[in-house]
Amino acid sequence: MIDNDEIAGQVRMCAACPKMCRHVCPTFFAWRSDSPTPHGRALIIHYNNTGTQRLDSRGIEVLYQCLECSHCLTWCLPEIDIASIVEATRRQIVDAGSQPEGLIEMARSIETHHNPFEEAHSERTSWVKEKGSGAKSVIYFAGCTASYREQSIAESTASILSETLGYDVIVSDEEWCCGSPLLRTGHYELALETARHNVDLLNSVDAESIIVSCPGCLRVLTQDYPEHGLKLNKPVFHISQVLQERIETLPSGAVDGTATYHDPCHLGRHCGIYDPPRDVVERLMGGGLVEMEHNRDDAMCCGNGAGLRTLFPDKAREIGTERVEQAIRTDADFLITACPFCKNLLDAQSLERIEVIDLPELVKRAGQQEGQE
Amino acid sequence: MVDAETLSILKTRLSDVVGEANVSTSVSDMILNAHDAWPLSEARIRAGELLPTADMIVFPATTEEVAEVLKIANETSVPVTPIGGGAGTCGGTLPIYGGIQLDIKRMDRVLHIDHESLTVTAEGGIVGIELEEAVNRNGYTTGHTPTSLRASNLGGFIATRSGGSMSSLYGKIEDLTLGLEVVLPDGRVIECKALPRHSVGPDLKNLFIGSEGTLGVITRATMKLFPIPEKRSFRSMCFPDVHSGLGAIKEILQSGIFPSVVRLYDANDTAMSVSVHFDVEEGDCMLMLAFDGLPEKVDLEEQLSAEICLKHGAKDYNEGPSKRWWEHRYDMYYPTKFTTAGYSIGDTIDIVATYDKLEDVYHSMKAAMEAHDAVVMSHFSHMYPNGGSIYMIFFTSQPTAEEAWATYKRIWDDGIEACLKAGGAMSHQHGVGLSRSTYMEGEWGAAFSVIRQIKEVLDPNGIMNPGKVGLGVRE
Repeated sequence: MIDNDEIAGQVRMCAACPKMCRHVCPTFFAWRSDSPTPHGRALIIHYNNTGTQRLDSRGIEVLYQCLECSHCLTWCLPEIDIASIVEATRRQIVDAGSQPEGLIEMARSIETHHNPFEEAHSERTSWVKEKGSGAKSVIYFAGCTASYREQSIAESTASILSETLGYDVIVSDEEWCCGSPLLRTGHYELALETARHNVDLLNSVDAESIIVSCPGCLRVLTQDYPEHGLKLNKPVFHISQVLQERIETLPSGAVDGTATYHDPCHLGRHCGIYDPPRDVVERLMGGGLVEMEHNRDDAMCCGNGAGLRTLFPDKAREIGTERVEQAIRTDADFLITACPFCKNLLDAQSLERIEVIDLPELVKRAGQQEGQE
Repeated sequence: MVDAETLSILKTRLSDVVGEANVSTSVSDMILNAHDAWPLSEARIRAGELLPTADMIVFPATTEEVAEVLKIANETSVPVTPIGGGAGTCGGTLPIYGGIQLDIKRMDRVLHIDHESLTVTAEGGIVGIELEEAVNRNGYTTGHTPTSLRASNLGGFIATRSGGSMSSLYGKIEDLTLGLEVVLPDGRVIECKALPRHSVGPDLKNLFIGSEGTLGVITRATMKLFPIPEKRSFRSMCFPDVHSGLGAIKEILQSGIFPSVVRLYDANDTAMSVSVHFDVEEGDCMLMLAFDGLPEKVDLEEQLSAEICLKHGAKDYNEGPSKRWWEHRYDMYYPTKFTTAGYSIGDTIDIVATYDKLEDVYHSMKAAMEAHDAVVMSHFSHMYPNGGSIYMIFFTSQPTAEEAWATYKRIWDDGIEACLKAGGAMSHQHGVGLSRSTYMEGEWGAAFSVIRQIKEVLDPNGIMNPGKVGLGVRE
């Protein structure tokens, strides 16, 4: 958390920058205007701070035209984290009840159904087919997108953990949304309520660790929860980290062709995990890994973050399409990512020009192909 | 400013042209789109002051839409301020009389790469780095790498006679531009055909290169391309003074060697920019060189240039300072806590002169600017066989905004006066915009009446970027 004085100093500096990071801002790409840009966001907050121009409805809209992807931070020499500043300002906007209508519905859905999709909570674990019976228990915290929209990722992850890695996999019916959509859009109070539920639940289960397949969940469980004094009593890992640790169990070169890898913002820039998924892809692909022009901390966001797809679906899709184009330019056969949220949007925008698969799905496919040989 | 009734009619008409989503009259959008990279604008933003804003922003996507917008503006005599990247350092895109800000950022396509002729045709709104990355994928470079590469765009480069850090080898934008499409103030679209050279009357495209939106809108251009050099080498030489360094530069370039980078830092700039990383004797002046091309050519040019430098009394620092500068060349463009504290303000007066006057210009300007207790440091860069540019960089910090802006103005006034008296020209690559607008009569003398007459013929209603480049100033 950064205090208000620190924020004021940072936006003052960012607001008057000659736009050194704008070229990587995905919302600048989508709108081609100086409003939804890092310096635009800073300027609007700076003028609000100085009383020069109070935040009006368009100003609020501009602050929600941000993916909080932190790509700008990679290109910022003074290291001004506009994503965090936007998030802190969104919190004030929500506290004042001035957030966009579309987000109110999302928050209400999480409050009522414990997921942002207005799906019945009773259906959350409908994808669960089997549970392992290994000696060591792990909790698989599947997250909302894998549970309701990308169930193949949830199924693949659970199956790998139990069948390939030999864990006793615990999936709780009482898992709630991790709170990421709420935190990223400024709904702190509701986010903390759902966080407290999850922490109580996760801490009450006897398991050696918590595994997630969603980088949004990973960031929230490992960074946001502790930042708000909510401590988990077991370590949290992303599935890519677990797979890297046990890489010798994965079939080498089992999938024909080449793959390129899309770094999810929450996994890469926010959690610093770049090599584990790459090592897994390299291991599984017969033709190896081909990097996109913009990769690792310079990777473009998929467009599906921080409420943008909810509020501005056309622009989110434009951004996703551009990322798919970047993948196609590598001539790879597959676009691999390690995030259900990214996979969902990239797959929708690929129009079957390149096959989009999430990492656990790739591992499962590799196992199936190896079994056929 | 435009009255409410006219504004409402304009909004409807312009929405019909570009679509409702591409016209904004929102106060917040207007404020955000006014943002440019003029150091005075940046200092005023930090101080919480508003910059001049337009009455509406229009985002066309095609040349035809630009033409229709200008026809409507011309018919209604509403000022039009074209804007591309909004990264100009002279206030050229500030809509000081309100009206329409014509933002061409949506016109960002690469239209054609001609592999046989080594040219690229692109729309004016493409950002410099977008264009550079697109041609890099094909094995080429535009050779145009200004510090603002990530923020400024092709139309802006051409409109301001921009110069990149490697202009000694590749040339400035006027050397790199082969053809242009321009929309005139009355909406006519003209094309200046892409040609390597010609002899069919005056070169019309050069009327628009540097016109800063006062004569029309540059909607597309055909630019030279170069193969990405196989080798780039760096060499650094330290001289006891500016005079000996300039002597070496002159001899290198006049012997037919064209380094891609030539930058001679005076003692103050060496102390500020180089000594913090390398052991340099106080008062010494660092020359940074780079050489691009085939390995054999690069090796020979570096060897011959080093011999010339040593003959002029230089100490050899090998690749260190020059390579470091290259790797960190964009760093100086970022704001820092030091340069943005309180009412701090700095700027660069990027003058140009022939060698016979260059040192006089440097010493005269330095004395005039330092008289205002400003910190002044300089480097000679963008060097050519017949002369080159000096970056006269100054910095001042004052207790109040009023004093800071007034001191800033005095430094500019006296710096430019000294430059012109000593025979220099007041800009090599940044352009005129608003910051140099009042000096145009002094710079051009009687010849400025020709520019005025051209303006009156092409833009009789004075709609195009009024108040810039000394043209269309209103009471």
